[in-house]
Amino acid sequence: MSGKSKVLAGPLDGKLDPFARELPHLGKALSRRIDADPESVEQGLAQLVLTIVELLRQLMERQALRRIDGGGLSDEQIERLGTTFMELDRRMEELREHFGLEAEDLNLDLGPLGKLL
Amino acid sequence: MIELLAITDDPSPLRSPLRLVPAGEVGVVVAPADEGEADAEALWRRESLLEDLMRERALLPIRYGTRVEDDAAAAAAVAPRAGELAAALERVRGAVEVSVRAVAAGDPEPGPGAPEAVHERLAAAARENALHAGPELLRAAYLVDDAEVDGFVAAVRALQHEHPELSILCTGPWPPYSFAEAPER
Repeated sequence: MSGKSKVLAGPLDGKLDPFARELPHLGKALSRRIDADPESVEQGLAQLVLTIVELLRQLMERQALRRIDGGGLSDEQIERLGTTFMELDRRMEELREHFGLEAEDLNLDLGPLGKLL
Repeated sequence: MIELLAITDDPSPLRSPLRLVPAGEVGVVVAPADEGEADAEALWRRESLLEDLMRERALLPIRYGTRVEDDAAAAAAVAPRAGELAAALERVRGAVEVSVRAVAAGDPEPGPGAPEAVHERLAAAARENALHAGPELLRAAYLVDDAEVDGFVAAVRALQHEHPELSILCTGPWPPYSFAEAPER
């Protein structure tokens, strides 16, 4: 369920990395030491990151009752979730094991997600 | 604590763990607040609940993380705006949100009119649209009739072929996150 894709249509060449590249550290993680099947690793990661980013972005858009008193997370709190998600995501773990990547390769800093969102 | 998920005006009962709390002419879909860590799994569970729900009734998603003490507090938060929210429900009934973003594909650089041209064509295929600020050349949400979603996606694909200088990403269908508020008056 965590990796549910919401992509209905992507770029002409099927590459999602122009979007994933907005995440500053993703490009670096992708370009380093991936020799198994670069295309599919890249696509898998880009899709994974995008899927989460898209959901987060939606959750941060203006919505009904955003001004409710007393309840709700601040924008900052929601943004901070980004980092946690990437570390916790099970599919990320699976990808990592499958392709023999080091943890640090995938320790994507989504701190600047706020700017993207 | 309970978490507020969505506004609806369909009084039919909900499946556990969801409950409907009446608030004037609308109702609030609530669930027990998740005490666990807010992680990606929790977000997708919530998203799936909303997506299942939006297949059976019109709804307005409530901002993630909105919690109150009990049903009475939920009703009190919503009832004063019930009229406005009922109008917003009419606006989104029978439609879903589709999100589109466009960035430069590389060489050649897109002409200044390309993102606007894409937006114009898509806006014509949608009931309503909302432009969002962002680092992309185009970041927009479109409110698309349920029956028109396939056609809308086909239009995105056609535009992508016409504009190889752009990379266009289209996601959805989403609950109407960008159309959940009454239009500015």
